Formats: sequence, C-alpha cells, structure tokens
Amino acid sequence: MSEVRVAVLSGFGINCETETMAVFEMAGATAVRVHINRLVNGEMSLDDYHIMAVPGGFSFGDHLGSGRLMGNRLRFGLRDQVRRFVQSGKLVIGICNGFQVLVKMGLLPGDEEVSLTQTASLALNDSGHYENRWATLEFDPNSPCIWTKGITRMRVPVRHGEGKFVTNDRELLDRWSESGQLAVRYVDPTTEYPSSSDEVLPYPISPNQSWRNIAGVCDPTGLVFGLMPHPEANHSTWLGATWTRDVDQGEHGEGEGMAIFRNAVNYAEENLL
Amino acid sequence: MGTDTPVFSFEVTTRDLAGLPDARGDSVKSMLASNYNLNVQSVRVILGYQVRAKLSTEESERTVYDLFADPVMEQGSVNTRLLDDSTIFPVPPQIVIQAGFKPGVTDNAGQAGLDGLLTLFPHLTPDSAVATTRTYAFWGLPDNTSADWLAGKLHNPMIERASISDQVDCEKSVWPSLDFPHQPALDQTAPAIVDLEISDNELIEISETGLLALNLNEMKAIQSHYRDPLVRKAREQLGLPPNAPTDAELECLAQTWSEHCSHKIFAAKIHHKDTETGEASTIDSLFKTHIMKPTLDIQNEVDWLLSIFHDNSGVIAWNKDWSLCMKAETHNSPSALDPFGGAMTGIVGVNRDILGTGLGARPIANTDVFCFGPPNYSEKIPEGLFHPSRVMRGVHAGVRAGGNESGIPTVNGAIIFDDRYLGKPLVYCGTVGIMPRRLPDGRESHDKTPTPGDVVYMVGGRVGSDGIHGATFSSLELTEESPSSAVQIGDPITQKKMIDMILEARDEGLIQVITDNGAGGLSSSVGEMAELTGGADLDLAVVPLKQAGLSPWEILVSESQERMTVGVRPDDCAAFEALAALHEVEATVVGTFTDSGAFVVRMGENVVAHLPIEFLHEGCPQLDLESEWTPPEHEPISFPNTDALGMGELLTMMMARPNVASKEWWVRSYDHEVIAQSVIKPFCGVNHDAPGDAAVIAPIQGQTQGAVISNGIVPRYSDIDAYAMAAASIDEALRNAVCVGVDLDLIAGLDNFCWPDPVESAKTPDGRYKLAQLVRANRALDDVCRAYNLPCISGKDSMKNDATLHGEKISIPPTILFSLIGNHSDVRKAVSSDFKSVGDRVYLCGESHQELGASELSYMLREQIDGVSGIGGRVPEIDAERNLAMYRALTAAMGEGLIASAHDCSDGGLAAAVAECCFGADAGANIDVSKIMGDCTEINSWGALFGESLGRIIVSVEPQHCAAFEAAMNGHACYSLGDVEVGDQISISNGDEAILIASMSSLRAAWKGALEGGGPQ
Repeated sequence: MSEVRVAVLSGFGINCETETMAVFEMAGATAVRVHINRLVNGEMSLDDYHIMAVPGGFSFGDHLGSGRLMGNRLRFGLRDQVRRFVQSGKLVIGICNGFQVLVKMGLLPGDEEVSLTQTASLALNDSGHYENRWATLEFDPNSPCIWTKGITRMRVPVRHGEGKFVTNDRELLDRWSESGQLAVRYVDPTTEYPSSSDEVLPYPISPNQSWRNIAGVCDPTGLVFGLMPHPEANHSTWLGATWTRDVDQGEHGEGEGMAIFRNAVNYAEENLL
Repeated sequence: MGTDTPVFSFEVTTRDLAGLPDARGDSVKSMLASNYNLNVQSVRVILGYQVRAKLSTEESERTVYDLFADPVMEQGSVNTRLLDDSTIFPVPPQIVIQAGFKPGVTDNAGQAGLDGLLTLFPHLTPDSAVATTRTYAFWGLPDNTSADWLAGKLHNPMIERASISDQVDCEKSVWPSLDFPHQPALDQTAPAIVDLEISDNELIEISETGLLALNLNEMKAIQSHYRDPLVRKAREQLGLPPNAPTDAELECLAQTWSEHCSHKIFAAKIHHKDTETGEASTIDSLFKTHIMKPTLDIQNEVDWLLSIFHDNSGVIAWNKDWSLCMKAETHNSPSALDPFGGAMTGIVGVNRDILGTGLGARPIANTDVFCFGPPNYSEKIPEGLFHPSRVMRGVHAGVRAGGNESGIPTVNGAIIFDDRYLGKPLVYCGTVGIMPRRLPDGRESHDKTPTPGDVVYMVGGRVGSDGIHGATFSSLELTEESPSSAVQIGDPITQKKMIDMILEARDEGLIQVITDNGAGGLSSSVGEMAELTGGADLDLAVVPLKQAGLSPWEILVSESQERMTVGVRPDDCAAFEALAALHEVEATVVGTFTDSGAFVVRMGENVVAHLPIEFLHEGCPQLDLESEWTPPEHEPISFPNTDALGMGELLTMMMARPNVASKEWWVRSYDHEVIAQSVIKPFCGVNHDAPGDAAVIAPIQGQTQGAVISNGIVPRYSDIDAYAMAAASIDEALRNAVCVGVDLDLIAGLDNFCWPDPVESAKTPDGRYKLAQLVRANRALDDVCRAYNLPCISGKDSMKNDATLHGEKISIPPTILFSLIGNHSDVRKAVSSDFKSVGDRVYLCGESHQELGASELSYMLREQIDGVSGIGGRVPEIDAERNLAMYRALTAAMGEGLIASAHDCSDGGLAAAVAECCFGADAGANIDVSKIMGDCTEINSWGALFGESLGRIIVSVEPQHCAAFEAAMNGHACYSLGDVEVGDQISISNGDEAILIASMSSLRAAWKGALEGGGPQ
C-alpha cells in the first residue's frame, strides 16, 4: 500500500463513496471517507490528502439542479481549502453527481486562476428522465488530463438524469476543445478508434444528447477531471454489461474503469509524495 | 414566525439556447400524447420558489442566480413573472396551470431550497420557509381543450392545489398565482376520556367513526380491561381516569392491534371445510402452522438462520464475516390515493426496516413488484380512482425517486397487469441489507441489546399530521371517504443522512436497540421495543413537530416518515448527539426504556396513557373464522384453427401482452448499478435489452462471492386454485435463481400475501371462499418450502385489498409475491438468459404437460380472439422433489462451465421464452418439440408452445459441451430441441410439421413497443 491518500467526500446524499473508496484502494492508495462537515468544522483537512474525489449520488436530492446545493456548500463553505488544494497541484475527480458539483461550483472546466466561476452546466437529458445504461467512451489522446493518459476507449454505465453538457458561450467550447479539456466523449462502439466527433450522436449512443458528445472534461492543468459516466462501477470484469458473452472463464480480473484510478495514483506516487 | 414576514416569489425556466430544449416541458407533452392521446404543439415549464424569509432586496436579487436559477442555462426572476417577459415568451400561451403542494404536505424541493438559502445567508432564522410550484404553459392545444381537464391531469387534488388561467385570462395576461401554503397551528385538544360503558352498537360506532378498525370482540376486550378492579386501582393511583381509556390509549391499542400490525387473520382460529374431499378441520393460526413451523424445522437442520420472525427483517449468515437480511412490504392503499407519494414511502419505508434490523443493517438492493390495472384499459374508471396508466407512472416515479436518491440499486422486479388491480394497485417494495456478523465491540449485530435505563431517541424527520391512521386505514377497504392524512411523501435525503449517521453510530457501538417508525409511529416503535425491557416511558411534549398544535394522541400515532427510534446507553448519549449534529440529523431524547411492566406516555408532567405491556401485546382476542372450499368452475379454452404463420402471429400478440412485454423503458430509469456490485443485471444480451432472470450482486467490492435475488408472482392461477398460485410463485422465484446459478444449500424466502378481505360479512358474502383460498395457499407454502428446503425468514400480509366505490366492489385476485435471497459461490460462473452464439444447442430442462388453465394464453384468447373462450383446464401442478433434483443437476453443470445460457420458462410458455433468449443474441432459432410431445400423451401443440408447466428452464450449450451436459442431466427430463440460428426467423416444428413460424423483428417490435412509456428520444 502506497502513501497516496485519497479523501472521498461523503454526506448529504452522496452515495457512491463505498465503491469510489474501493477503486482507489484497488489502485494501491489509502482511501478515507470524509464527511464534508468534518472539513468545514476543522476536524479533518484536505491538506492531508493528495487526491480528492467527489463521488456520485443525489446530493440534496438533485433539487434546484443536480450538484447545485453541494457545489454551493463547497464554493461558500470550503472555498479556501478547495482552492489551496487545486493550486498546490493535487488531483481532483468528480464522478456523475460529483462532476455536476465541480461544474456548478466553477472548478470545471475551470480557469488558471481557479476563480470558481461557473461557465458550463449539465442540463436535463433530452429524454427528460433519469436513465441507467451502458455507453462507450473515447478519450482525447492530446488532452493534458492526468486521469485519462493512455486510455483509448472504455465501456461504462451512465446513471443520470442531468448529463447534457452545455454552455452559453459557444466560443468557450472551441477553446476547451483546442486545449484538450474535452477529455472524454461518447462514441459509436461499432466505429474504429479514433472517431469521436462534434456532431451529436443519436440516442442512445449519446444517452443525454450532450453538446459535442461531451461525457467529461478536465481543467487547464489536467489535474482536475470530471465525467458523467461511472468508471468506478466497472472495476472488475464481472460487472460489465455483456461479460457473460465476451469474457472467458480464466480471463477474469480488473475491469476497464480501473485505468483512470491507476493513472491518478501513479501520478500522485511520482509527483506528490 | 409572524405572517408579516415577506414572501418572495422566484421563477426559473430554461434559457433559449440552440440545442437546449425545455426537456421538462417536452416530457409533459409526451406524457399527454402517450396517456391521453392529446397532441400539443409546445409546453414550457416554469419552476417557482416561494420564499418566506427576511431577505433584503439586494439579497433576494443575488439569490436568483446564486441559488435558484442556473446562470448558464436558465433564466430567473424575483417578484416578476417570467410569462410577462416577451423576450422569453413572445407569443402568449393559450392555457397556463400552476400547481403546488397543499399546506403541510412534504415539499422536498422546498426543503432543499431552504437549506441552500441558509448556506447563502446563515443569519436567517431557521423557521424561514420555501415552497415550490410548477407552472405549465401550453401553446397549440387542440380546440376545446378544457383548462380544468388539463389541470386534473397535472396535479393530484388530494395533496396539491392548482391555479388556472384559461384562454380568456391568458389573453389578458392574467397568470395563475398560488398563495404561500401557510400552515396555521392546530388547536391542541386536551386528552379526552372515552367512555366505553355503552351498548355494543355504540362501541362499533366509536371504532368506525374513529377509524380504529377494531371489531366488537376487540372493543369488548378493551372494555373489560377497564373493568378489571386491579387496573382501576392502579390507574387511580396514577391520576388517570380509572374506568375508561384516554384517547391516546385507545389509539395506541388500535394501532397495535390493527390487522396491519398484528396480522389477526393469520393468527385466527379457522374452521376449514372442503366440499370436494369432505375435510372438516380446525387450524390454530395459519402463521404458526404453515409458515413458522416449517421454518423452525429447517432451522434445526442448518446453522445459517440467525434471526427469524421477531425483528424487522430476517437475517441469514452469508459467510463468516457478513450476514444478509431481506424484507418486502406493501404500500397499496397510499399508492391508490397518491401513487407517487404512496410508492415512495413504500420503498423508503422498507429501507428503514433493514436499517432497523438487529443493530442496524445497510440497505444494498431494492426489488419492486407492482400489480396494476391494464395500461390500455378503455372502460369507464369508477370515480375516485385514477386510470391505471397514471397510477403506473406515479408509482414508478415514486419508487424511482425513493430508490435512486437513497443510493440503493433496484436490482430486480416485475409488473403484473389484471383488471382487478384497478381498485387497489399492489406496490411491493423489497430491500436486501448487509451487516458485519460482529461489531468492533464484539457484539453480534443481529441481536438487539437493550437494558432498562437506555435512553430513547427519535432520530430523523419531525412529526406532522401526515400519516395519522395509516395502519388502521390500510386495515380497511378503500372508499371515497378515505382520508388524505393517510398519504405522505417520503424525503429520501433526510433519510439518507440518517442512514449514514446510524451506520456510523452502529460501528462506534453507540446503539443498543433500534427500530423504524412506520405503521403506528411512536406508539408502535416504542411500544414494541418496550416489550424487550419490560416497559418504557415516553414524553410527547419534547417530540419535535413540523405541525404545531398536534394533540397527544396524534403525536403518538402519526406515521410521519424518515424516523428511527434508537435506544442508547446514557454514557453514549453525548457521542451519539455529536454524530447526529455532524450529519445534520435531528436526534431528540423522548424517553427511557424501563422494566416497570407498562408503556407510560406523558405530555410533560401529565400521564396520557398507561398500558400494561402484556395487555398491549397479548390482549387482542383471537379471531374465529370459517372457510369453505369448493373448486370454481370455468369454461374450457376454445382454440382457434390456425396454421404455423397464424401461430406466429399469436406469438407476436403474446409478446405484446403487458404481462410479457419488455418493461425496459420503466426499468432503465431505476439505478440498478450503484454500489458497483451488479453482476447479473435486469438487462443482458448483445443489445443490453434482453430480460435478466434473477439478480446477482457481489456486494463486497473485489470479492467474487455473490448474492442472488429473485421474485415469483402468478396471481392468475388463483382463479382456479390458490394452492397452485402459491406453489407456482415459489417455484418461479427458485427457478429464476437456478437460472443464474444459485447455491441451493443457502436459500431463504419471503412470503408476502395480498388478499381481498377473507372475513365473511354483509360486505363480503364470499368471505368463506376467499379464506379457503388463503388456507390452500398457506398449505402450498408449507409443502413446497419444506420440499425445497427454503425457509421463510420474513413475510407480510395485506388483507383488505378491496375497493368499494359507488356500490361497486372490486377485489384483487389473491396474490403472493414470493421473494428469494440466496448465496452465489462464485459470481464469475453466473449464467445469463441470452443465447450466446449461433450453432449453440437449445435444450428444455423439466417436464411439459397440457397445463393451460389460467395461463397467459387462456386470458389472451378470452380477451382477443372470440370472447367466449374460457380460462379452464389444468392449472400447472408442482412436483417439488422432481424439480429440485433437476435444479441440482443443472446447477452442478453450471459450476462445470457447461451452460452458455439459462432462462426461466413461465408466462407465455416455451414459445415466449425462446423468443426472449433469441432477442439477447440477435439471432433466430430452429426448434423441434416432438420429443416433448412424445413424452406426454395428452399434450397438443398449444400446450407444448404456450403451456406453463412449472420446473422448466431453457438452456443453451456450446456444441463441444453437449455430450458432457447430457451426461450431467442424465436421469432428469432434458430435451434437445434445436439450435440457435442465423437470421430473423424463429421456427418451431413437431417433427416434420411446422407449427409456428415468426419473424424475430416483428416479435421484437411487439415486445419492445407495448409498454414504451413515451418521451422525446
């Protein structure tokens, strides 16, 4: 077990903390469940960790927009701690509701100053409702994202009602695209790699009709990353959607989603210890 | 807070950006098209937040985009109407409807808004309030669309208010405007004394007008308790009225003795007659005789039944470190009145049963099984009932919100349709929990450890007038007078915070005893736990209220949600309260456990109830009932003349039957994969859309031991014999579990009965027959569970599933949901239902007979072909020993890796099951049933194709494993039927004679399209 320490946030309706802790542990780190109020009241401090993970869930029931109220708790209640953490070159991931939190609090797609200004959002899926289905993701090989290095494609479940990435300034989209911040997009699994494109793919290949098929983005440094799908839910081969068809007995082992967490723990071991 | 506090009105709508639809509006549009065939050009939704708080103007303006409206994709306003903004709405709408909750109804979004407001402005007084509204604006409505009719489809008057602007209003820009739902304090009434020294008729009148649901014998038992000189003397000393109960005492007794809480029919003495066999016998408690006894007998043989019958759910040892528990509940009556709230409280309520098991278990999986009227029902709906499609949408949305927001995956379920569920839908919610066998302090987690002196905490939500009389109300039939106070809406986030907190408290060793507040509220939770120490002292004056002015008896019996009752040692109270504060969970000391022999309830200094524990829990007189069985008579099925292609068309029709059709649209919106443990999912196959059988989960991340969860439910067979219905339900649950490779040596069941009232009375002249059905179902449970070595670790009954509306009585068919939880030794060997590869060999394991009585085919022919065909014939019979032997052989073959796929053969028989296996492979199949028909002299091609004989599983095997598989199945019925084929055709023959030909693409379209719920996609 390495000395890489991961703070996995919990409380107020976050509900994927168990598996999020498990995947970091499987990747060799030490994961600690950290109730947000323990950071607010000073009982614990983000300074003691190398990685912060905001897991999926339904913080505050998704009322007033998913991730909004939790984002406000972090933006107003933990502003200095969060900015210090990011500016000191540490790693942050937000998954699903955690991604929504990071976008609504302005940490993603973010800016060099870590100004915590919201520039994008996650709208209701065009289907109008929550869905749980598997999707195929393709990763941008030119992205600065630490979390996605070397990954080409990955099959993961999406489980959300509000995952359609939008912004009110389309020029920003071009800028994020050029800087490699549009790190991961939905892709048609029957095509050859690489083939991700800006044209919105048909439902359900794009489960939410996200602009430019965006499934996740990183900040300009590549240290902060968030995505709507759940790589932590594909930590073992027997959790795949079609494993009974495509995994032979004897070939069982780590699932496709683990690559993301291994990237982060390896980076932290090499750069943050 | 005074009414002079200002109310700010915030509004939010989707910003006009290219590529960003108003998805909320589009959903309403598609719901109207799908449910009511009403096509609207455009619907826009405006969310409203009415904020009652002392905000400055500047603060209120900042709040628009810091809290309520998303600055990127929404437009917001404060104290101006967005409908007046011509930059957003250049053309005025034709009709506008605003809906909001009535005062006192749980408003979760409002509560979240308040929390957000306090994050921004911590100086606000905590009694500030936020209420939400939804405003629907319509353009391009068909001519003559009534605004009132439209409003009726968009709100439920039982819990919501609506304000309407019709075309005339809209032309004048007069928009709907609901007031803030102020909730005035009630006038608290002093404890009343109820004089029971009255005539029998008057006793009954007290019970009926007070919604106590007590019969004359029970009222007289209470009367005689208060005549006991010893009781009178004791009461005099306490300063209580010596000769009569207080209202709080009477209410507490009514809750504790309600059918809902004390299962009086299952405990009754039944005089049973069978006119067919001449049997005349007496059964002293169906529960003790047919459910408890077999399970206790099995407990003597195994070492893994840790806790059965006495806790909120049954507990089994799963391995040396972990135990599993499971419970299923129904929430039928509330779901009939408010489908969304009723179903949501159903699921979050059963989650609390798990949290309240032992010293607290973590809920890790939900199962949901619903029974509704047909979604395409076209007859007139009796007034007071919702159309089944609306009930279905509401129930589904409630369970979806309850499960998803709690972070508990919905892993398995079913939806059943029958006309008779029109009166009362059945909403079965089940939850599986996990707990460490031992806590860090060494205590075994499945045992509660209370001692007198432990402090009683109420944890979680506050008490309101919602949910008063839920337990007694559900023990009565549904009528147009059914009270709206019996309806509640769950608050999953309050509960989620509480679950997080309770599990931390458990692991820190702070909990001695815990139970949930469900039916009967504090009267039940404290009253039941008082039995463990021999008494309790409860003070209602300190209970936190969300409705000011409740009377003592109301506080005592209110079923307001999201509450647990926890017993904590005095030394641990400070740590317990600190943990509650950290999680922002309210935890209040409300009393003490004692060994005084009595449940004492005070309002401050005044004792309002003093009930001896023994009388409370043992004083209810046993019912004495009569049952009489005469087999019903049915017209036989008349089979139409048809050829192989015609048979293919019938199969296409069968695949579109609501009971058979794909439920994908509905199931997709449940999170079935949170916790990252889902091995066999609700969907499988190359396109992720073929139906899974049982669920398999691997709840400890990274480990390969699993748990199997399945359900069986076949209410149709009750029309012929409830014995067959019960047996088939159990077999279906087990068969599904066998399909995925369950460990047959570690399986446990849950019996969940929903019956029409089986007590003979003027309202129920056929009570003897319905009770005989119950007797027969219990006998089947006894016989089959013993044969399968399948102990029932938990169960539930709901015995008044009738609705009488305007003189018309609708009774549900007697229905059992049998749920199963079992071990899976290695999830990497689990098997899914989809055919895997072209060329694989298809087998049918199990015997087929001409068993079409009450089959899905018989109902289909009766409804769709000629209207004169009956459902009569042989109903599937069980041979449990034979089935179990085959299941064991098949499970062993799975362990050897010989099986490519396995699928349960049930509704619609072999033909429907083969079609489903083909969906998963995008392939066809070539099947020959001559070997099946050769083995059974009476069977015809209808029976072979659509018969529903029990104990049958369709498997496919790779060609190189066929010899080993056939050897493994030697001695069991196992028929090689054909192969998985390339292409779009399924063809079934009897030797050389083609008997069914169908196109897979038409079967798939029929199967997937029938229950498609609509929506822009």
